[in-house]
Amino acid sequence: MKKNQIDHVWRWQITASAAVALLIACLLGVGFGPVNLGFGSIIRTLLGMPDGLENEDRTLLLELRLPRVVLGALVGAALATSGAVYQSVFRNPLADPYLLGVASGAGLGATIAITNGGGDLHALLPIFAFLGGVLAVAATFLVAGRLFADPSTLLLAGIAVGSFATAFQTYLQQRNSAALRPVYSWILGELTVANWDVVKWAGFYILIALAVLIRISKVLDALMLSDEEAYSLGVSPQKIRMIAVAAATLATATAVSASGLIGFVGIVVPHLVRGLTKRATNRSLLSIAFVGAAFLVIADLGARTLLSPAELPIGVITAFVGAPFFLFVLRARNRGNQ
Amino acid sequence: MINIENLSVRFDNSQVLQSINLDIPEGTWSCLVGPNGAGKTTLLRTMLGMQPYSGSIKYNDREIAKNKSLNIAFVPQRPSIPAAMSVAEYVMLGRAKLDGWGKESAHSRNIVHEMLEATQLLGMQSQLVTTLSGGEMQRVLIARALVQEPEVMLLDEPTSALDLHHQISVLNKVEEIKATGVTIISTMHDITLGAMYAERIIIMQSGRVLLDGESHSVIHSPELRSAFDDRVSVHTLENGRPVIIAAKLATGLDQGVI
Repeated sequence: MKKNQIDHVWRWQITASAAVALLIACLLGVGFGPVNLGFGSIIRTLLGMPDGLENEDRTLLLELRLPRVVLGALVGAALATSGAVYQSVFRNPLADPYLLGVASGAGLGATIAITNGGGDLHALLPIFAFLGGVLAVAATFLVAGRLFADPSTLLLAGIAVGSFATAFQTYLQQRNSAALRPVYSWILGELTVANWDVVKWAGFYILIALAVLIRISKVLDALMLSDEEAYSLGVSPQKIRMIAVAAATLATATAVSASGLIGFVGIVVPHLVRGLTKRATNRSLLSIAFVGAAFLVIADLGARTLLSPAELPIGVITAFVGAPFFLFVLRARNRGNQ
Repeated sequence: MINIENLSVRFDNSQVLQSINLDIPEGTWSCLVGPNGAGKTTLLRTMLGMQPYSGSIKYNDREIAKNKSLNIAFVPQRPSIPAAMSVAEYVMLGRAKLDGWGKESAHSRNIVHEMLEATQLLGMQSQLVTTLSGGEMQRVLIARALVQEPEVMLLDEPTSALDLHHQISVLNKVEEIKATGVTIISTMHDITLGAMYAERIIIMQSGRVLLDGESHSVIHSPELRSAFDDRVSVHTLENGRPVIIAAKLATGLDQGVI
């Protein structure tokens, strides 16, 4: 019998390598900082074995670094996965998770919280940012009219809603100049507020959203085809798009409300994984989640250590890596089209 | 057997298909012909279950929309081509309904292999679909439709983007597929080619079936000319094959044999 020359489309080794990369990134993330901790003692502490870290070092690891690394991983996974999903839904490789106005909406929500929140600032900010993000996406759909009637109408509606929210946010900022600095630092993204409470609520929503996205990831391939082809393959694309956008919006809005606006993760990571594995995005969704998590943990490590003891906003690091990468993708794409 | 009875489709305020009645026997090739906007593509979309409709479309006495196990393959006129997907992966999508999404049985991989071979694509299976030429992409689409092991295959303008050489090879392939018992329904702008391959021509105009019958009789009917506002002229080649050309070109030619 002839040898079958058709490779398996998916390989578990890819997902496993991504998981290992995430573990290594997390170890580096908790190990390095103004005070370096030994990897051996970190592992012993985490596994509850004897000879672990003690006193301040133990507190530093368990109460400061670990929640921050976990939050970074959650946010990175959320942004990278949502980016990949949006790219499939809109059949546009440069779509990013902030496309439908989540970012500007959350920015407006955060600004409202900062300018009116008074003492309860940090308690209110995530809720306001979350609501702002979700409401902005809802407004985008309302403006665009019939759901997904046309992806480009939806994109334009997202831009309009985003500009409106940003204008309103700027107005509020100008009226409250004291709010300028906190709003600005929130916009650049920060994981400094990480503690186990934030990790718990953000983790709850992000993991639910990721579970839904990974569950439907294989069917997402159908969205990359025309609707007629999807129907012919037994899939109702409208339904899948609705679920995908709802879950990706939940993940993104949660990530943004926990950590501010961290850009480019949603574009860089899916392309990186696609490029390395030569596999369509959707099969790699779990790997993209792992790599996104690892990417943000490492970016945060850079944010904490590059100018130590000062901290760089993490959004600066991701943009520094992301913007040139974005241009590279654009260029490669243009060459592909020629 | 496909039975379409009293099928009507409305978009907002306009009636796109009006009381369509068609009986299409298994293993035949029917070609939908008519000017743009006649409702040909809408008829295909309705058969795929995309469009709410009144009336009925039955395959072997079961309503198509309710028959989840029926495989209707679709070859689009303008496919949306995903990035970073190899020819093999793309063709494998055709097995998704049978195997479940993301699962690939050994049997499926054998069928994909077989169909790539049948469409002369073996050796290109690892190439990205974004790098294919128009003719290669059309073969990939046919291969994907084939691995669906469909009962019915719908083709929307399967030859519109191809040069004459590739048009013939695609149509020959579809003819082979028909010979295996698959029911073929295609839309085609080139009526001459359509009449050469399909045994049946269905002329549509403004959402209605104007005429429906055996290719040769339909093609010589006055309804065909009226569907195209008398801008076409029908001639017969020496071997008896009909040729349809723009009426303008036919001035000075004898109506009849050329």
